[in-house]
Amino acid sequence: MNGLVASSRRSAQRSALVASRVPRGLTPTALVAVVGVLFVLIWGQQYTGSVFVLAACYAIVTAGMAVQIGFSQQIAFSQSVFMGVGAYGVAMLNTHYNMPVLLATPIVLVGSALVAILLGSVVTRASGLALAVATLMLPLIAVGYVSGTGFLGGAVGAPLPGTLWPSSSASTSVALVGGGLIVIVLLALAVFISARILTSDIGLELFVLGVDERTAAALGVRTPRRKLELFVLGCVFAALGGALYAGTQQFVPETLVDPTAELALLIMLFIGGRRSVIGAVIGALVIQYLQGASNWVSVNILVVEGLLLTVVLLVDPEGLAGIVTTGVSRLRARLGSAPSEGLGGARLSEPSSPRRKRQTPDEVDSAEPVDLADPALLEIRSVFKEYGGLSVLEDVSLTLPERGLFALCGPNGAGKSTLLNVIGGSVPPSQGQVILSGADITRRPPHERFYQGISRTFQSVHLIKGRTVLDNVAVACLASHKSSIATRIARSRLDDAREQASRALADLGMAHLAGREVSSLTLETQRMVELARALAPNPRLLLLDEPASGLSEDQRQRLAGVLAAVATRTCVLLVEHDLALVAQVSERIFVLAAGRLVFDGGPEDFRSSPVVNTLLVGS
Amino acid sequence: MTATGSTPAESAPAESTPKAGVALAVRNLSVSYGNVVAVHDATFTVAEGDACAIIGPNGNGKSSILMGVTGMIRRRGAVEIFGAQARNGDVRWAARHGLTLVPERRQLYPDLSTADNILLGCYTWTRSIGKARRSGPFARAIELFPELNLHLKQLAGTLSGGQQQMVAIARGLAADPKILAVDEPCLGLAEAVAKRVYAALAKIHQQGTTLIVVEEAPRRALTLCNRRVEVRNGVAGDSVAGAA
Amino acid sequence: MMKFGNLLIAGITTGAIYAMFAVCVSVWYRVSNILNLAVGDFAMVGALGVDNLYRVKGLPLPVAIICTLLVVAAFAYVYDQVVLRIAQDGPQRMDGIVVTFFFTFALSFFIDGVAKMLFGTDVHAAPALWNGASLTLGSLHFERAGLLVLACAVIIGGAFWVYIRFTLGGKALEASGENSVGARIVGIDTRRYRRLIFVGTAVIAAIFGIVESPLTGFTYLSGATISLTGFLAAAYGGFRKPGRALLAGLFIGVLEAMLGGYVSAEYGDTVLYAILAAMVLAWPRQLGFESAVSG
Repeated sequence: MNGLVASSRRSAQRSALVASRVPRGLTPTALVAVVGVLFVLIWGQQYTGSVFVLAACYAIVTAGMAVQIGFSQQIAFSQSVFMGVGAYGVAMLNTHYNMPVLLATPIVLVGSALVAILLGSVVTRASGLALAVATLMLPLIAVGYVSGTGFLGGAVGAPLPGTLWPSSSASTSVALVGGGLIVIVLLALAVFISARILTSDIGLELFVLGVDERTAAALGVRTPRRKLELFVLGCVFAALGGALYAGTQQFVPETLVDPTAELALLIMLFIGGRRSVIGAVIGALVIQYLQGASNWVSVNILVVEGLLLTVVLLVDPEGLAGIVTTGVSRLRARLGSAPSEGLGGARLSEPSSPRRKRQTPDEVDSAEPVDLADPALLEIRSVFKEYGGLSVLEDVSLTLPERGLFALCGPNGAGKSTLLNVIGGSVPPSQGQVILSGADITRRPPHERFYQGISRTFQSVHLIKGRTVLDNVAVACLASHKSSIATRIARSRLDDAREQASRALADLGMAHLAGREVSSLTLETQRMVELARALAPNPRLLLLDEPASGLSEDQRQRLAGVLAAVATRTCVLLVEHDLALVAQVSERIFVLAAGRLVFDGGPEDFRSSPVVNTLLVGS
Repeated sequence: MTATGSTPAESAPAESTPKAGVALAVRNLSVSYGNVVAVHDATFTVAEGDACAIIGPNGNGKSSILMGVTGMIRRRGAVEIFGAQARNGDVRWAARHGLTLVPERRQLYPDLSTADNILLGCYTWTRSIGKARRSGPFARAIELFPELNLHLKQLAGTLSGGQQQMVAIARGLAADPKILAVDEPCLGLAEAVAKRVYAALAKIHQQGTTLIVVEEAPRRALTLCNRRVEVRNGVAGDSVAGAA
Repeated sequence: MMKFGNLLIAGITTGAIYAMFAVCVSVWYRVSNILNLAVGDFAMVGALGVDNLYRVKGLPLPVAIICTLLVVAAFAYVYDQVVLRIAQDGPQRMDGIVVTFFFTFALSFFIDGVAKMLFGTDVHAAPALWNGASLTLGSLHFERAGLLVLACAVIIGGAFWVYIRFTLGGKALEASGENSVGARIVGIDTRRYRRLIFVGTAVIAAIFGIVESPLTGFTYLSGATISLTGFLAAAYGGFRKPGRALLAGLFIGVLEAMLGGYVSAEYGDTVLYAILAAMVLAWPRQLGFESAVSG
């Protein structure tokens, strides 16, 4: 518990460092650029310089992996394969078509992007472990193909006549230094792009995607698209690293694509720090220098790497970058400077006026217009749900108006959460329809339902560790869902989202929590943060799954007050076991038992209904 | 031992026999999770044969008291079980000296059968499966909830909430405890089931086991218990009513 | 027909090994939430260790085997006490993918490196424990070493199954894997079970390495491939279900043999991996790929 709080505090401070008055993404880029250029200019012609350049090629790959694997938890083992694509592509164009390396590189990058898009569309349908296992096959298939066909030299490898530096008449030293500078510039570019993405509003989308895909979808993140974008980003960065590798080493060995290469990349990432772009760069440097350090180390590199990785992870799971950051923050604490709160420039506005403007959903449905005579917001028509022969929902029908507080009760296993999932879109019904304001949304995915104004909480808490309360609520206020990741290199509307989030927090009396990291909060407060997140986008329909669970009596009363206030503006449907709370606040109560709706009525009827009494209360 | 299951705390305090020993003595107990202090200072005693309710609002430390006392979590302060100093953080020690916990949210083994779940309660006092199956405590545990008989071979994860709570209590009973500590027995249960659970607890108490029950809603607990300990903000002490 | 039969036998033999490793990975994952990516490396150490002690140092075979197994057990014990204890139970309790994957991943590298130091880079094998030509039944060939592998699998697997089903200790082990809080309530020392399983896994892997190596030969890098297949089979079994992991291991072994025999000796493995990838993409939920890895 101690470690969790400490590490999340460090992460929040780190994000504060990046997000402060300096234009976002510039700090790590400048660091890499300055150090790299100096190094190449001073030592470029010596052995240590060439190791540095080699490491820089790998660092481009690991930077992409930091974004893809480290921050967004999209574990794909595709980078070594695409490093091979980049390297072999350049080698082939240079050897067989006499194309200069510097021209071949962008061509190969475009080709890699296309292959990555094709491959990614298939592979990113899977999630989590399935994704990892599916992509684990890639290096195995690739190496089998390369050594089997003797493609481009097979096990012997492919030499290149050309170098990265375009002028063939230049001396060797100029070519070396020049080539090295080109690599450094591109590395700085890669770091810049990564940092810009991570500090943008889409960065928050990626973080919540990494926490839990289902939650991300319910918050409007277009998970299939983001996963594909991340996959392509990782692959293109890898291809660039590979192309530059070929250009600077003038040789492509078969070991570049085999599974141990992929493992080596992972070691670089995790030693350096998976949630840190700079860390990824450092990791590449450390491993490459180790491999060239001494003969003994080079021969026994496996032992050294295994030992180093174990020790580093034991000290700090966030790798060397984590160790450095802890050291820095301890030093600052020792020197007496208070750590910044990490609000990143967001200004907390005055307490908002009681009437909030309803946020127009990003995508207005173009189906039939709302029939003013029929004020129903949500209509569930004859919904059935079966899981392999087991009937979970049977012929459930209900309607909800535009405003009000409604409760869904029932014994355990009655199907309440399933019904919420059907309304929220994460579970399609076997039969029946879900109709929102007259439009049939039964087949719409969860992120689209979010745009339509449906917002929900889940039974378990899914907040982004290491980020502040403000940022966690801001995830629900993003306007970036329809934009591509690439646009965030240029601009970000994170501040807008943070402003809206701070208003939502103020409305709930939680403004004082805005700067706290979520891991330091108690479970009850975390649930309130999730509630704030669900309310922040001014939803039309709010689905709450057991919001009072684990709350004390005082907190329940406060929750009841909040819900009553919200219900004057929105329709709220809550699944709840606390019958006293339910009868106190709801204007209508639905009771599910064994998948069927057995009661639909007001609190008085609820208290006196014989059906309800036998089921829930016991006569 | 005169405390019966139906004496409410508001009436004249039930008298324990003068010679009843102290089953559990807790002094200045404090429990922390990292930086968060859940229990500051808890001091109370439970006499043999008592049924003691630990009540107070959620989030005030009731469960943490039980976790600290039974050794599930490390604690500071003194705990004595039947006069012996309890070893800090040692669940097996506590179990061998007669204190068994039925934890919050049941914590059953979902892919093991109901019978196996209950049988594992015997692990506190034996490693032999044969002895466990033939033992008195196991038999008593099975008899306690006849409605489980049809489900003995069923996987515990497929039972309803109420049935799972019964299994959890049966597992506690199979450990042959002298003191049974039950944490929030009716969490998430329908009223009818909660009544059944309390009837079983009353029966256990009648058979001579000392009971400690943690409950957020005191009404039910106080129909059973003759003592209560109130917990507020991590501080717990013997209450005035019914103090032994 | 005889080709099919012989391929099937070969497939079941390798499949039995994969199955055993998969079961080891799966059982240990249930108890500890860590994936043991070093199983294959323990197997490799078993094989190469026995070979080294017997052939190079001249120790009698039984002594060589016992020494190797003792060293493996001791090493696994120390690793658990030092590294895993800090990683899992220390003040900074680590969660998520780092612990699940990367500690044993680093261990795998470390063991391979040490093996390279001690045994060099050549191909070696422990001596066959049951000497002689392959047995024939009609036109079906049974390699003696292969039969030994199957026998070991049945014995070890069977013993484990009996332990789990019919002893209280075995049920306690199951319980620790299913709910560690619930297990501690009844006094089960979950940490001790974790250690037991980890050391047991290492020793069982070493035994299989010793028994199997006469069939294929090992280098210091062979462990990685075996770890991978053990991991894959456990994954396809759903990680938490050793029974399904066993079937998955057999399936992969047989599929590998069939592809190698009928499709192509060179590309058999490549096709195998392509098929496995396709299966994961087509039926993730049916194969049990709920997100077992988080954080």
